[in-house]
Amino acid sequence: MKHFGIIFVFWAMAGLLCAEEDSSRGSLVRVRASIQPYDQFRPWQKKSPYGLNGTGVVLPGGKVLATAALVANRTEVGLEKPGSAEKCAAEVEAIDYEANLALLQPVDRNFLKGFSGLALGPALRAGDKGEVWQLERNGEMLRNQAEILSTGVGRYPSDEAGFLVYGVRVSLPKRDDSYTLPVLKDGQLVGMMMGYDRDSQEGSAIPVPMIEHFLKDAADGKYEGFPTLGVSWSPLRDPNLREEVKAPKSGGLLLTRVNPRGTAGRAGLREGDVLISVDGFKLDEDGNYRDPLYGPTAVGNLIRTRPTVGSPAKFRISRGGKEMELAGTYDRRARDEVAIPTLQFDQAPKYFVVGGLVFQELTGAYLQEWGDKWSERAPQRLVEYFTFQQDKRPDPEKKVIFLSQVLPSPITLGYQQLSGLVLVKLNGKEIHDLAELAKCIDETKTGNLVFEFRDEPGKLVLRAEDLPAVSEKIGQAYGLPALRRL
Amino acid sequence: MVSRFFQVGLLFLLPLLSGCGRGDWQLSAARKNVVMIEVTSQTWDYRLPWNPGTVSSARGAGFVIDRKRIVTNAHVISGARNLTVQREADPRKYPAKVIFVAHDCDLAMIEVEDPEFYKGTTDLQFGEIPDLESVVSVYGFPIGGDRLTVTRGVVSRIDYNSYTHSGRESHLAIQIDAPINPGNSGGPVMQDNRVVGVAFQGFRGDVAQNVGYMIPTPVIRRFLKDVEDGKYDHYVDIAIRWMPLENPAMRNYYQRPNDGLGVVVTDVYSEGSSDGVLAKGDVLLAIDGHPIESDGSVRLDGQPVQLEEIVERKFAGDTVGLEVWRNQKMEKKTITLRPAEMFSMYESLYEEPPRYVLYGGLVFQPLTANLMAVLVSNADLRLRQTYTLFGQDQLYRETPEPVILSSVLPDRSNVYLTGLAGQVVREINGKRIRTLADVLPALESGGERTVIRFEGDQRPAVLKKSEVDQVMPRIMTQYGISQPHRTELGGRRLAKGSWNRDGEAK
Repeated sequence: MKHFGIIFVFWAMAGLLCAEEDSSRGSLVRVRASIQPYDQFRPWQKKSPYGLNGTGVVLPGGKVLATAALVANRTEVGLEKPGSAEKCAAEVEAIDYEANLALLQPVDRNFLKGFSGLALGPALRAGDKGEVWQLERNGEMLRNQAEILSTGVGRYPSDEAGFLVYGVRVSLPKRDDSYTLPVLKDGQLVGMMMGYDRDSQEGSAIPVPMIEHFLKDAADGKYEGFPTLGVSWSPLRDPNLREEVKAPKSGGLLLTRVNPRGTAGRAGLREGDVLISVDGFKLDEDGNYRDPLYGPTAVGNLIRTRPTVGSPAKFRISRGGKEMELAGTYDRRARDEVAIPTLQFDQAPKYFVVGGLVFQELTGAYLQEWGDKWSERAPQRLVEYFTFQQDKRPDPEKKVIFLSQVLPSPITLGYQQLSGLVLVKLNGKEIHDLAELAKCIDETKTGNLVFEFRDEPGKLVLRAEDLPAVSEKIGQAYGLPALRRL
Repeated sequence: MVSRFFQVGLLFLLPLLSGCGRGDWQLSAARKNVVMIEVTSQTWDYRLPWNPGTVSSARGAGFVIDRKRIVTNAHVISGARNLTVQREADPRKYPAKVIFVAHDCDLAMIEVEDPEFYKGTTDLQFGEIPDLESVVSVYGFPIGGDRLTVTRGVVSRIDYNSYTHSGRESHLAIQIDAPINPGNSGGPVMQDNRVVGVAFQGFRGDVAQNVGYMIPTPVIRRFLKDVEDGKYDHYVDIAIRWMPLENPAMRNYYQRPNDGLGVVVTDVYSEGSSDGVLAKGDVLLAIDGHPIESDGSVRLDGQPVQLEEIVERKFAGDTVGLEVWRNQKMEKKTITLRPAEMFSMYESLYEEPPRYVLYGGLVFQPLTANLMAVLVSNADLRLRQTYTLFGQDQLYRETPEPVILSSVLPDRSNVYLTGLAGQVVREINGKRIRTLADVLPALESGGERTVIRFEGDQRPAVLKKSEVDQVMPRIMTQYGISQPHRTELGGRRLAKGSWNRDGEAK
């Protein structure tokens, strides 16, 4: 109720009102996303569709910024003008699930003609005031006063490591289209709300430096994403540990694992090195650098938000007490080149049905389908492969193929109860992805197909000559639109 | 699985009325022999392994079998510090002592020294497995009063079931629909004046109703026979995994005709009874002359039972004969049976005190079912996976007893190490840690700093030896620890392991 009062006051101040109204009228648009995720347990089909409604920010030039979570697993995205029911479909031009940002382009390029759009504002600090805007049914703007409580590296919904987050205090009334909301200061965009807790009236927002990075990357039409170092590290406060690793007098953090494919690994950093500074920014014992704006900030912001993929990286390390400089190039190979992808939105899961045996490639998305307690509920072998894939550093080309279930058929007698088994070999030959498995099976016209698994029962056997007749029947009996998606 | 069951008898202790009731009525065999057991027991606390543990009291039942020995459940008397028994006909409480305990089949034998106690008891006869739907009577002292209580029910199911007391074992168990409640544990289940079982476990009321379990006589007889030599040996295990050979393509692959016989060996556990005798891919066709159906069942006294039942009835050192189809040839194999000691990690421990090593506030403990039970709520994924895959992946070949940094007792000397609790120890001062026994010598080796490394990408823990020596007395005083370590394994045995021992200290 408080906000009504505030808005009322604004309206009363007529002079200010005109200017403000102009900018707000041409700045927001409703985003209607129709969502339909794939069913990881029945990879040939999708789950029930549902809709998400958010508020997108019109940027100068007529594109629309929204959170990625709003349009993940979409079948269709539409834009709707706030004051009218005029609608237009939109394409997703760039999307980053880690940074939780998406750039939408109306199919009709003239749809947002007359919208001036919002320019990006400056980065905020804790204590700064701003506003979170919501749309009323009639298209009027509801401006909620907000305060930045904190700035620091925190969790994003679909990211493993963390990015800069604004902690925002704001009292948001229940309104439609609030899945994504903009944070503004002085009529400029300074953040996008991505989470809100009604009880504590606190939320989190994607800060403007993230948005800037995202838009800059998307501008050339080729989206590359946020870089990553590909390391695990530990703080170095413990004086005994410092002595053991011969750390310098002060500062630095201990690298406990270095992915040889990643930015750090290819620059020559190794497990056991003490990372002293990155690009000239000294790291303290807790893994913070001194940010000119935010003060002590976790190293994650330094190495992920500030540089872009392809920009040069400079490291100062201490190895066995000897300091040295190493140079490299920022990339995200440590994140992208993995055998088992963590994130998989929008992508149809691969599968291959042979005689009733259903094979899939292991993904984080499949494991997440087991719910919040996936690490306890999912087959433990699959959890192990996924969680400790960095330990084993598998070749990213060697996917983990597993028998996810058995559709009973005349030739799977005795196999029906099996599931969650990692496939190692077919007829004595190692198999590295689903396409290879399909190819090998297609090429075998007669004789045994001996599937060898990591765990018991060890081997399963089908007769190649039985397959053509059975496969067709299985497709019909279970109503599968296709027996494979490779 | 464990949490679904409650262990009856451990839960309630009710005060006894004395002096009422005189034994001048017609006593049935059960009433002459059933006894009430009152136990004060102590349970170790694996969070504080140096403490003697919590004391609790409970009531259970038992029965005199041959005018001198009493059979009850292992869980009734485990950890007993004080034990008294009382008969219906005699209000006196007699002190008793445990002579044998078999945690793996939840049976125990106790004894009263005073011959007076046994006056009027009879030689109880054991019956066979009762028929489905036949009526049985359960005797015990369940919650609700202090006098002997009899309930009746029918035999609902005869099948293998998990014995929750040990947590790892499954044996034949008989389900009955007579109410079995806390206090019934250890009491006899009778039919036609013969004992046909020992009441032992059930479900909590919110999980299932009218489902109680009794230990059937084949298991009881096996226990009685096992202890004849003066000690209880563990159940033996054939230590293989097998899969039904039902699929025609699979049968064809193993070159077996469609005669509905045989199962395929899918795993042979290293150090188990079959190690070196059976191999993956063997087709087992008969066990001790009984043909094995393709679903793994054999006919025993006309009843289909799992092939393991043949092994169940045998003892350590006994042999079992197998007909094996290997490389398109029939071979006869003989397996000498022994307990599967390598899996003892999964067995809950009762009598023996927890083992640990304390080092500058760092507490090292071997991974056991008991430790897991207290860590499980916040155990990290690596620890859980180590526990889960220990048997399946035969991790015992490398680490017969994984050692965990189970806690860090906060002290000004270890403020930076508290976050490492729950990690699996890999090496100390460069020495690979495979059992708890490796910890002390490894801690003593090395230079002025002790470096402890963990599995995965955790930072190492580094301590100054001189500082540890200095702070140990303080930590032990502050936390009330009288002994810095307890490492004796007692009677239990671990896997030998099969790592390359070249270059390791003898």
